[in-house]
Amino acid sequence: MTSVSRVLAVWLTPAALLAVPAALATHAEGGLWLGLVLLLAPLIVLGLPAAADPRNDRGSLFPVVTLLIAVGLLLWANIALAGDLAAWLGARRWQGIVVAAVSGWVLTAWRPLRRTAPLLLAIALVAAAAPLMQVGWATGLGPIAAWERVAAQPAFRFPAGSPWVTTGRALASVHGRAPLVFEEVHRLTAPAGGVVRARTLDGTRLSEIEWTLAPGQSVTLRSGDELVHGALRLRFEADKRVPGAPPSGAAWAEDRPRRWLERLGVLVTLLLGAAALLRAGLTVRLSRDGAGFLAGGLLLAFGWAQLWAVYAMLQSPDLFLGGVTLERLLEVPGAALFAEPWRRTLQVFLIAAGLALFLASSVALRERLGALDPTGGGEIGRDPGLWAALFGAAALASLWPVDPWTLTLLALGGVGCALGPATMWPPPPGRAALATTAGVVGLLVFATLAAAQLRGGGDALLSGVIGYPALAGGPAGAFVLWLGRRRAG
Amino acid sequence: MRRVTSRSTGVVALWLLLAGFLLLGALPNQTASIRLGGLSLLWWYGGVLAPVMGVLVAIRWLAGPLPAPRRDG
Repeated sequence: MTSVSRVLAVWLTPAALLAVPAALATHAEGGLWLGLVLLLAPLIVLGLPAAADPRNDRGSLFPVVTLLIAVGLLLWANIALAGDLAAWLGARRWQGIVVAAVSGWVLTAWRPLRRTAPLLLAIALVAAAAPLMQVGWATGLGPIAAWERVAAQPAFRFPAGSPWVTTGRALASVHGRAPLVFEEVHRLTAPAGGVVRARTLDGTRLSEIEWTLAPGQSVTLRSGDELVHGALRLRFEADKRVPGAPPSGAAWAEDRPRRWLERLGVLVTLLLGAAALLRAGLTVRLSRDGAGFLAGGLLLAFGWAQLWAVYAMLQSPDLFLGGVTLERLLEVPGAALFAEPWRRTLQVFLIAAGLALFLASSVALRERLGALDPTGGGEIGRDPGLWAALFGAAALASLWPVDPWTLTLLALGGVGCALGPATMWPPPPGRAALATTAGVVGLLVFATLAAAQLRGGGDALLSGVIGYPALAGGPAGAFVLWLGRRRAG
Repeated sequence: MRRVTSRSTGVVALWLLLAGFLLLGALPNQTASIRLGGLSLLWWYGGVLAPVMGVLVAIRWLAGPLPAPRRDG
């Protein structure tokens, strides 16, 4: 698993890559930090000194099981993203899930297709770059001018060509959690009729109101009113502020109060996750060309994410409606920019890029797991039954919408706490059991906090640690390693 | 005493690049928001300079020595 393309494919799953433009659109500083850490974490991890004998880990089943669970979670996150995308584009959710899961399984099961990761990555690069260049050319703005234009926006408003304005869309298709709070008077129309629910401000009192609208009938919400998410198709007014968008371009671009714990949480989770995914049980030697290709590939991905976020915000500010979600970033920005069939063609390019990246990741993750096989023969990576079960379970779980980035963080954090500390700070030769003990403790702490995260709750400092359980799980594992080394010494 | 390898130098340089971002963001009076040539200072650093420097560091310091060729006989 030392091939550069496989390292890239394991690390840059579609959910991980799309999380960067989503975070950039939500807030510039947080998105830049995420992108920078996503770029530098694998390089830091691959630069760490190698364990005395990485094959020590192969005697234990613990790394294999934890890595298998992490691979399952990563597949789940990306198959769920395919389902979200299908639903967003008007198809059935299960259709996107089936296409992604079946093609992923075929690629991992059919031996001649197993060495296709470099080709798939190249396809993804070309297919993602083409729409980006096309959008840049159509807007007539270079990257810096586009950024400047976004940062100078007095407000993010619905463009006249937005599907939310022309035909309307169901709010149920928006998976974001941001409340739909209106900042100015806004008339909403229900093209097919239905029930609209909103929480309105009556003086200082918040009350819930329900309107039953006939087809084509409208309701007007005032500033401060909050629309409740529902399955009803609604049309918004052109040139009105997008609910959930930053107040202005300057507010998006400027500093905000530091969120140190959040920054640290992203760093620790991705660093430990990179250590576990890219280094645990492996000896990685990069040639100068290999290091250049790897870092160059990560740089290209980060560059694409930045430009895509900026052009999307500039051309499709409706992206902010209800919070930026990953699948909406695979929509070609600017409905008015491209006539058919060009728009559809560019859309096909983007979907092809996403699918190629997912398939490359599937192949690389299979190979990564196989490299850790205790038998040394990579049987786990070659067992079609096991991979059918893994893809099948991930596909079934994906029928229910989940946040793909949260799942990705859960996978990286969990496997990072289990394998990361011992990979970054290997126990002395002959003490492989210490690595397992540290991993079990780290994983238990991580799982406890992750469960608390799922239940919701905690405040201030505690909520930061619960939001990024690796902040406690990683150090817990490292502490056990330290204790074990001390007692041995 | 542990030998300082070129890889260790590279890892330290990468850590410094990350620390630079946090430091820039922590400067008083919203210094990171100052616009320079169209972009904010923070974006120049986090989106352009640090990533490019990261690539250069990887090329210069992260490449490990290749395994010695096997001698026959």
